[in-house]
Amino acid sequence: MDVSQYLEIFIDETREHLQSLNEQILVLEREPENVDTINEIFRAAHSLKGMAGTMGYKRMQRLTHDMENVFSEIRNGKMKASPKLVDVLFKGLDALEQYLDVIVNSGDEGTEDNEDIIKTLNEILNEGLGGGAVAPEAAPAAAAVAAAPEATAESGVKPFKLAEHEQSAVAKALSEKMNAFAMTVYIQETCILKAARAFLVFKALEDLGTVIHSEPSVQDIEDERFEFDFSVVLLTDKDAETAKKKVENVSEIKMVCIEPIKAESVAGATTSETKETTEASGSTQKEATPAATTQQKATTGKPVVNRSVRVDIDKLDDLMNLVSELIIAKNGLVSINTTDVIGLRESGFNEQIEYLERITTNLHQSVMKTRMVPIENVVSRFPRMIRDISKKLDKKMELYMSGEETELDRTVIDEIGDPLMHMLRNAADHGLESNEERIKAGKPEVGSIFLNAYQDGNNVVIEVRDDGKGVDVEKIKKKAVEKGTITPEQAATMTDKEAIDLLFRPSFSTAEKISDLSGRGVGLDVVKSKIEALGGDVEAKTVLGAGTTFIVRLPLTLAIIQALMVELGKEKYAIPLGSIQTIEDVLPSDIKYVQTKEVIHLRGNVIPLIRLRNVLDVAPDDFNPESLTVVIVAKGDRLAGLVVDNLIGQQEIVIKSIGKYINNNKMIGGATILGDGEVALILDANAIV
Amino acid sequence: MVETVSSKEAKQYIVVKLGNEQYGIDIQYVDNIVRMQKITRVPKAQEYFNGVINLRGEIVPVMSLRVKFELDEDEFTGKTRILILKIEPQAAVGVIVDEVREVVTLDEDSIEKVSYDPNDEKSFYLSGIGKHNDNLISLLNIAGIIVEKEKEA
Repeated sequence: MDVSQYLEIFIDETREHLQSLNEQILVLEREPENVDTINEIFRAAHSLKGMAGTMGYKRMQRLTHDMENVFSEIRNGKMKASPKLVDVLFKGLDALEQYLDVIVNSGDEGTEDNEDIIKTLNEILNEGLGGGAVAPEAAPAAAAVAAAPEATAESGVKPFKLAEHEQSAVAKALSEKMNAFAMTVYIQETCILKAARAFLVFKALEDLGTVIHSEPSVQDIEDERFEFDFSVVLLTDKDAETAKKKVENVSEIKMVCIEPIKAESVAGATTSETKETTEASGSTQKEATPAATTQQKATTGKPVVNRSVRVDIDKLDDLMNLVSELIIAKNGLVSINTTDVIGLRESGFNEQIEYLERITTNLHQSVMKTRMVPIENVVSRFPRMIRDISKKLDKKMELYMSGEETELDRTVIDEIGDPLMHMLRNAADHGLESNEERIKAGKPEVGSIFLNAYQDGNNVVIEVRDDGKGVDVEKIKKKAVEKGTITPEQAATMTDKEAIDLLFRPSFSTAEKISDLSGRGVGLDVVKSKIEALGGDVEAKTVLGAGTTFIVRLPLTLAIIQALMVELGKEKYAIPLGSIQTIEDVLPSDIKYVQTKEVIHLRGNVIPLIRLRNVLDVAPDDFNPESLTVVIVAKGDRLAGLVVDNLIGQQEIVIKSIGKYINNNKMIGGATILGDGEVALILDANAIV
Repeated sequence: MVETVSSKEAKQYIVVKLGNEQYGIDIQYVDNIVRMQKITRVPKAQEYFNGVINLRGEIVPVMSLRVKFELDEDEFTGKTRILILKIEPQAAVGVIVDEVREVVTLDEDSIEKVSYDPNDEKSFYLSGIGKHNDNLISLLNIAGIIVEKEKEA
């Protein structure tokens, strides 16, 4: 069966399940008795296992299977979520994520078996069960049972491994004087409907007793994902011969090998044998599924994953409605064209244009909405990360998040994860002091990191704040002078804000020692450039001894924006509306000078004037108006007045890149095509201010 | 680097005129030839970039070969054309030429190699000299012209 068409869904859903597992296990660590959480975990793990199995990712399935066993025992109250267990579970989740990454890149799960994790899981499972005294004999007995079929491998019965609950079922059956058989059924190679034959075999066996295990899984067998043999474990009160006969009665069966799982093998087994069996079963799985694997490879050799967005069906309905309206509007225009009455044509035309405008605006908003994703998708993995860092650094800290429901464009969401992660790490590593220092400073021992997101006009603001020691401005200056980034004179005249901005320069780190987490100086500058590439900006605020805040501002959408068109000489430029505060008429006499720079005094603010004509090298002409038209733009809390010749008006523009060959000094954020086909450049107010 | 001389096959070149000289541009890089149109100046761009144009909804930067080769300023006439070149997908560049003349086919034998002088920036712009009938055609190294040198940036 070709499953490649489901790969995207598989990847998406696996991500979701892994994320939910991460979150829930974090909760479990805090509240080991929370039944809801355990159930949730169990469900997620179970679906994950099923999905991996269906897609033919055996290793992934096996790992989830073993994790699921642990969850199952926790759910049954036989085990407790010890810190050690939680650590292993997280390791398991990481391993699953690695599988997923490999799958995303190659369509194949790779060859890492993660034996150590599986082994530790099983050990914990055995310990937990043995120590729990609930099922004292189950664990060793089960281990032994697992070993038994391997010993009889020569007889044609393929070795396989039983899950813990299956093992205990076998042990129980044996104690009740039932027979347990390991059975391998070989189907004739000419058989066309293997799955159907297998189904008949199962049916026949179920008349005799219970099939507690099959290799490959029942699901795989039903999907014909097996070669020409499969193995089952049957619990029955009949003898081996009856069972064999019954199966052989099914047509197109080549051979049936049956072997009792002996009760005496229960006695002499040890845990180490379990491991051997594990390995043996690993190879069996490999043998059993080569067909499926090769088929997978053939169809999914290349990364096949397109990026997809899940869209609410309501949003799609909205879109459909709007498109219908668009068609009606078009038809309206067509019919007006055929009207003979001139006056009617004129007025109808204007009406339709207005109608069309309304629809396109709505259409734009709706399309944008389908691209909007809550920021939760990115930030939900951070609590886990902070937990790991906290353990690693041996610092107590807690992450508080708010505004996870804030929505951002998908493209931004995809890119913003790394910079945020970096800032959080910074906060955890450099920002927060060690436990002792905190106590000494009279702060609560547990450090706090806050991640707040909220919408602010056309921007989304994400703040990363810690209540740590803050940044020592003098230290930065000293360091910058040492490194030759600035001169001592510059350092002396620098404002605190300018000094803090130095942090975003390349290769600048104030950490005294380089750690695993941060301090290599390839940090904040990368964060900054990444955020700027997304059309946003980042600034830092700090209070010595009380903490640091990083404020990231991101545009809501990327491709289409509202802009104010302005004129400079004969050239037209667009200024994004998002950065515009107000527009003022300023008389030349109101211009004041501070350090020979032009400023205006506006409602209590001193705002520097920037003559766009000069900045943009517009050819001088004799344009000399009585008053200046000044567009006040803001970058963060900094204001500047851009002097333009004329305002043309507000317009919705589509942002296009001006290509990579032409030198771009960041002032130009792109270009757009106007209604008459002319190109207008978009000014990036952030770069000019 | 453009491989104009390594293959045995003959290649087609579009012959353009700049001032008194004839230049050949490997036809595989030419996406389109359009008439002169309004160019929007881009402030602070390299001197030889005239600006950007709207090519059927795409923004394409346009450079002046005359400025790049340090010839006289462009004079736009009815014959002036913009050649849209693509050396990689999604990144087109237009070059302004005085006139597009013809398409010629040159085989390896009729192309003479030019030696590179590392000190002479301009020698990177040529990939060879083609002989066609009695004319000499300077074959342009498109990649060398379009892609910015580090030291210039």
